[in-house]
Amino acid sequence: MGLVHADEMTLNIGPQHPSTHGVLRLKVKTDGEIISEITPIIGYLHRCFEKHCETLSYEQIIPFTDRCDYIAAMNNNFGYVLAIEKMMDIQVPERVKYIRVIMAEFNRIASHLLALGTFGLDVGAYTPFLYMFRDRERILDLFEITCGARLLYNYMWVGGVSHDLPIGFVEASYRFLDEFEKNTKEYHNILSYNKIFIERSADVGVLPKDVAIDYGVTGPNLRGSGIKWDLRKDEPYSIYDRFRFNVPVGKGTMGSVGDCWDRYWVRAEEMNESVKIIRQALDKMPRDGDVHEALPKKVRPPKGSIYFRTESPRGDLGYYIISDGKGGPTRVKMRSPAFTALSALSEIASGWMLSDVLVILGSLDIVLGEIDR
Amino acid sequence: MKKYFLNIWETVKTLLIGLGITMKHMFKARKGNVTLQYPEEKWPRPDRNIGFDLSNYNVIRSKLHVDIDDCIGCRKCERACPVGCIKIDTLKVPKGTDLGLTSGGTTKRLLVSRFDIDMTECMFCNLCTYPCPEDCIFMTGGPNSEKQPLDYEYSQYDKKNLIFEFATLTKKEIKKFTTPPPPQQEILKND
Amino acid sequence: MTIDNIIIWFQSWLPANFSIISLYLVAVLIAAIAIFAIMAVNALVAVYAERKISAFMQDRIGPMGQGPGLHAGKWGLLQTVADTIKLILKEDIIPRAADRKLFIIAPFVIFLGAFIALAAMPWGPNLIAADMNIGIFYILAVSSFGVIGIILAAWASDNKWSLFGGMRSAAQIISYEIPAALSLVAVILLGSTLSMQGIIESQAGTVWGFLPNWNIFNNPFSFFAFFIYFIAGVAEVNRTPFDIPEAESELVAGFHTEYSGMRWAFFFLSEYGNMLVVAGITVVAFLGGWQSPIEGVMQGAWWGLFWFLTKMTGVIMIMIWFRWTFPRLRVDQLMSVAWKVLLPIALFNLFGVAIWTLLVG
Repeated sequence: MGLVHADEMTLNIGPQHPSTHGVLRLKVKTDGEIISEITPIIGYLHRCFEKHCETLSYEQIIPFTDRCDYIAAMNNNFGYVLAIEKMMDIQVPERVKYIRVIMAEFNRIASHLLALGTFGLDVGAYTPFLYMFRDRERILDLFEITCGARLLYNYMWVGGVSHDLPIGFVEASYRFLDEFEKNTKEYHNILSYNKIFIERSADVGVLPKDVAIDYGVTGPNLRGSGIKWDLRKDEPYSIYDRFRFNVPVGKGTMGSVGDCWDRYWVRAEEMNESVKIIRQALDKMPRDGDVHEALPKKVRPPKGSIYFRTESPRGDLGYYIISDGKGGPTRVKMRSPAFTALSALSEIASGWMLSDVLVILGSLDIVLGEIDR
Repeated sequence: MKKYFLNIWETVKTLLIGLGITMKHMFKARKGNVTLQYPEEKWPRPDRNIGFDLSNYNVIRSKLHVDIDDCIGCRKCERACPVGCIKIDTLKVPKGTDLGLTSGGTTKRLLVSRFDIDMTECMFCNLCTYPCPEDCIFMTGGPNSEKQPLDYEYSQYDKKNLIFEFATLTKKEIKKFTTPPPPQQEILKND
Repeated sequence: MTIDNIIIWFQSWLPANFSIISLYLVAVLIAAIAIFAIMAVNALVAVYAERKISAFMQDRIGPMGQGPGLHAGKWGLLQTVADTIKLILKEDIIPRAADRKLFIIAPFVIFLGAFIALAAMPWGPNLIAADMNIGIFYILAVSSFGVIGIILAAWASDNKWSLFGGMRSAAQIISYEIPAALSLVAVILLGSTLSMQGIIESQAGTVWGFLPNWNIFNNPFSFFAFFIYFIAGVAEVNRTPFDIPEAESELVAGFHTEYSGMRWAFFFLSEYGNMLVVAGITVVAFLGGWQSPIEGVMQGAWWGLFWFLTKMTGVIMIMIWFRWTFPRLRVDQLMSVAWKVLLPIALFNLFGVAIWTLLVG
């Protein structure tokens, strides 16, 4: 009597699916429930960002960088303008530096709220998603009174920012931060410490340290695996060295180190740290100053190239810009952190069940706009 | 064995806490409600007082509008647009023709025969409004509400209706301005 | 007003040689139409209630309307009517590779499962379509009829995702039958009868003077049996936290992905019908059925209907509350909850109730 051999079927978690965060196709080989192999197929959102940049001038590229990682647009702008200012050796006024950090950290909170909310949605909890979005709406309102746009801002320009902060922004942000700290407790009660949620996400999709480093995973995914690496602390750019904040690291409180719960926890704690940074920045910010005084007449960096990296909510966002001395770049390359996170998916998700694959994908927090550019 | 019962107790406790939170929200529904019943209730445009003398700068992202009487045809907005949704054609007029002044006092030297903005391509980045020397291109509403009221509900059934043509010259006027006048000196000589 | 009563009423004013078979058929038809009407109205009202309650829990207001005209009535009351009309007018799509006959039959099989269980539900002191003396046994037997429909739907859709959903659902429903049945056996022991009206009547009286003598308050073992039955019942209906078969974020819509229009509406109707059945059994077995909580106050034939509907509505609201609060369990965790947690506790409960009945009487 020979062995009974169960056939494997190839399943397609297609580009249109409620749970893939964007248009992502996953080809999955399974024998019923346990997955043996996953192949992500990307490219459905490719918009030729890097090729398009070759025909534009430096200021015109800024709205396009927004659209790559459309959830954390301020951080994309931030990395790009810092790279060009370093090439051109521009010193921006103090107020501009503080404004940029405040905006970047607000966007980090908004991005993490979305990541956690959609993670809850993947697991089946419909309500925390809406609570987190209600808070995210308040952040987007703050952005709206500053620059008019809610999601894609075109806010940080080379040498400054496009609009100064309106009157009432500082008070409104203090009010928001106070209320937000109360709400984080509610999120923990309804989602983080919920036993069903812990059962779903603890010990699932463990990303070991060496695998993470091999694949080049950065950001909260790396910190969830126990490695303490944050570009804001280890290679500080802009004025991050003036603020005191901690870097949360996954410790395996509910399962093993590097499981989905740890990554979730790192993001939740990072929101609290961002609140601290914003409070310190609002306190120390100079009350007046012209935000447009360092705007160059023409943005023409000297010949050369630069690779500059910043910490976006998804990880290590890098810009490699080659300039020829003209008004537009010769080549812009964006190193997207979600790309490396997605490439680690096939390694950590094999051997789990189908429901777990979607939980792991949700915990990696990918944005297809950034992966496909 | 003990872990088994501890597990069950943990589960029941956290589930009851979660239930309490949703019940609390359900009873506070009237106060905590965040829904805006559009179109009966509309989100009020925030009052934009930025306290610095940059009140010319628009922070609204709505429909683009051009005061064509103020346009001098410099094409700075066309060059600034990253997607190329503004299309301008200008005509040189013969020397001495008086085209009038803009509201800021500048003499107009070029005739704008075509000024099309394709709002389906526009990405609302506002980069065209900054370089205009006469402030004639702006997004409606906001600080420019006196010139043009706020308009963000301009959806159409046909895509072609979203290409807004701002130039107001008729074909006859264009023809009049591009054909040169008969030379006056010749007639006098032959007299 | 059971079917027998209807037949007797007919015989009282019709000529005596009317064939009893045709009277029987007419009586059964009347009862069937009444039950179908209850299921349909229940779907309309329960869907509206679910949307509104879930909206309030999520800090928003659900469907709203501003009055007659273009809108959905004041407070969105006509929303479900509008949805029903839309579903009727929708195009009926059957995938080419699907098995046509099975595809068409499947929604009706599931509907049947809920429908025939409602035939034995006691709506009031003498409002029951079929007053059998094995009521609860009959309901337990037919309540897993719906599994056949789910498997038919999953198989006939010719879609790997639906197949996943169907298989998971079959395993889930079959596993949760057992703790449900065991906790109901505890109730049967307490009432010493299998008939529905008998179980309700055995819950008359009070405990400690003021609490009504419902099975939930009677003894501590049946108190736990109530929770076991309720959790198993929620799992039977495929509601969150056990809604893996139709897990929205994973399998799009599970076993009914390929159904659209009125066929999908039948699935929906059956889901709410099943909820009605489970809520009904909970109320009958543990919460005293059509009896009022205070002795002597508001008791009688039509008051009984009122109490029954109120308690059933309460149980349905708790199911809705559960759905919007908890994340969902993975399939193997679901199974381990059924076999490793609920089953031992249900067995222990049964033992405890038996000892209690022996000692305390």
